[in-house]
Amino acid sequence: MNRLCLPLHHAIWVVVIAGFCSGAAAETIAPETLFQVACSACHSLEVEPDHRIGPPLGALADRKVGSVSRYAYSTALSTSQLTWNLATLSAWIVDAEALIPGNSMNFANPLSAEETQQLALWLLSQP
Amino acid sequence: MALCLTRRGLLQSAVGAALAAGHSPAALSTSRDVIVVGAGLSGLQAALTLERSGHRVTVLEARPRVGGRVFTLDELPGHPEAGGNVFGGNYGRVVHAAHDLAVPLQTPLAALPMDYLIGGSKIHRAAWATSDANRLPPDWREIPPDRLMGALRHHNPLAMTRQWHDETLSLNDQDAHSGLSSLGFPEEAIRLIAANNSYGNALSETSLLSLYRIVAEFSRLSGPAAGVKEAIGGNLRLPEAMANALHSEVQLSSAVEAIEQSGSAVRVLLDSGRWFSADAAILALPLPALNRIDMALPDERRRMIQNVSYHKVVQAHFTVSQPFWSEEGWAGSWWTDGPLGRIFIRPIAHDHRHTLTVWINGDDCDALNAMSESACIERITQQLLSTFPAARNVVSFGRLVRWSEDPWAGGSWALWQPGQAAKIHDALRAPWGRCAFAGEHTAESYRGMEAAMESGERAALEIMRMLS
Repeated sequence: MNRLCLPLHHAIWVVVIAGFCSGAAAETIAPETLFQVACSACHSLEVEPDHRIGPPLGALADRKVGSVSRYAYSTALSTSQLTWNLATLSAWIVDAEALIPGNSMNFANPLSAEETQQLALWLLSQP
Repeated sequence: MALCLTRRGLLQSAVGAALAAGHSPAALSTSRDVIVVGAGLSGLQAALTLERSGHRVTVLEARPRVGGRVFTLDELPGHPEAGGNVFGGNYGRVVHAAHDLAVPLQTPLAALPMDYLIGGSKIHRAAWATSDANRLPPDWREIPPDRLMGALRHHNPLAMTRQWHDETLSLNDQDAHSGLSSLGFPEEAIRLIAANNSYGNALSETSLLSLYRIVAEFSRLSGPAAGVKEAIGGNLRLPEAMANALHSEVQLSSAVEAIEQSGSAVRVLLDSGRWFSADAAILALPLPALNRIDMALPDERRRMIQNVSYHKVVQAHFTVSQPFWSEEGWAGSWWTDGPLGRIFIRPIAHDHRHTLTVWINGDDCDALNAMSESACIERITQQLLSTFPAARNVVSFGRLVRWSEDPWAGGSWALWQPGQAAKIHDALRAPWGRCAFAGEHTAESYRGMEAAMESGERAALEIMRMLS
């Protein structure tokens, strides 16, 4: 949880990495594609729940964790006091169980550290 | 470069493929050719994922059908499943694929409840605790034979199911027979768990950690996940729809004999003598099928492939015209510690008949697998009828399925021996040159059909990185 105490430091590091990677954009996988491959079967980019088993991820930035109405969250998420930002979202994708123990997302992150950061940045930019 | 000698392949331009997948023409500069070997769920999910990112994909399948270990017996009344049985409520990728491809799902009609046939005695489920055939010690007598493994939940060291191949936990892994014994499971409980163990061919070769994984999964399923589902008309409808959604038709009856790699190309030889080439390949095959392919894998990796056991399953599928169990007051299905294993009886929707599946697990299959098909059918049928004489004129045989005898499966699913997964799971799924590997045995989070889907996505991602 210590890493959550350093969001500014974390964000700067991410921006540096992302900026570095953007210079070689042709050789990386676009974050939209990363989302399609790694997330989209279980999460839409809408704001209302649909047939998918995970909650929608639209308008995620600064949203309280576990707060989409009409989605049946685990107790672990619905009682979490966290908010989605670059630090929490990156940590969640890397190891959800470490961030919020007892949650229901059974997911092993197939993305590299760089891809994870790019995906998190992109997700937080979605309306 | 790609030979795309497929009927539709020649017609599908890369522009069309990319546009159909919703990508801008700019993506075409990186569009490449990929061969996917295996049209089970993992191969099809990988192929769809790659097509959606603008690549051209050719899928090669050894069988004359798609689906792999998803196998609905369409020719039998009630179309019973011989492979992937039900979609777990937490199978997000499966559920989404079905929704996306308009494959309707429904809640399956449950199998009839089980009574017990233990040591030759038939026991009503409700009478188990007080039955003379129940030889469990007093503290354990209330637990039905099919629930005994659940007692492991009191000891489970897995905080997350995917820790099942964690290196540290693996150091304490042991065979399930010794492990259950050291945890205080009585010998009779261990004997009953072994009688229908779906997670190892013998308890002495079953990883205790793998049993913890199963127990952890069941605990997770009892959480917020929705109930199980099946595809209307049979689960095979899902891989069929996935295959139909591909731009290029799956090449059926196309068994791969050899794979060569040179520089940035992969060449694949079929048993027909025909060659395919591409920029990369995904081998989405169970390990026994992968082991049949001639390719210059490092010796150590080849040994790993050969050292993973696959679960033995023999199923005999019957149709029941009248409920022979009801006159004597039995519930219908049976859990036995004898040669018939488990007997699942399921109602057929809008039909007075039922399906009956005799499901035999593990090393008990050896003798049956050694027989000819007709002798095996005869043996199982005779055992069924001698145990349930009332079934004589109301049960008709439909089909025998022996998964370990199937050269393209080698068994129903991969089994990890004690400590084995931590040592070789990562290595077995690591890309090799221009080849990536998929299949349920390569998944981290899930088992079964969702594992296949998970693995297909991960392998597709590896190919995208390779080709970017």
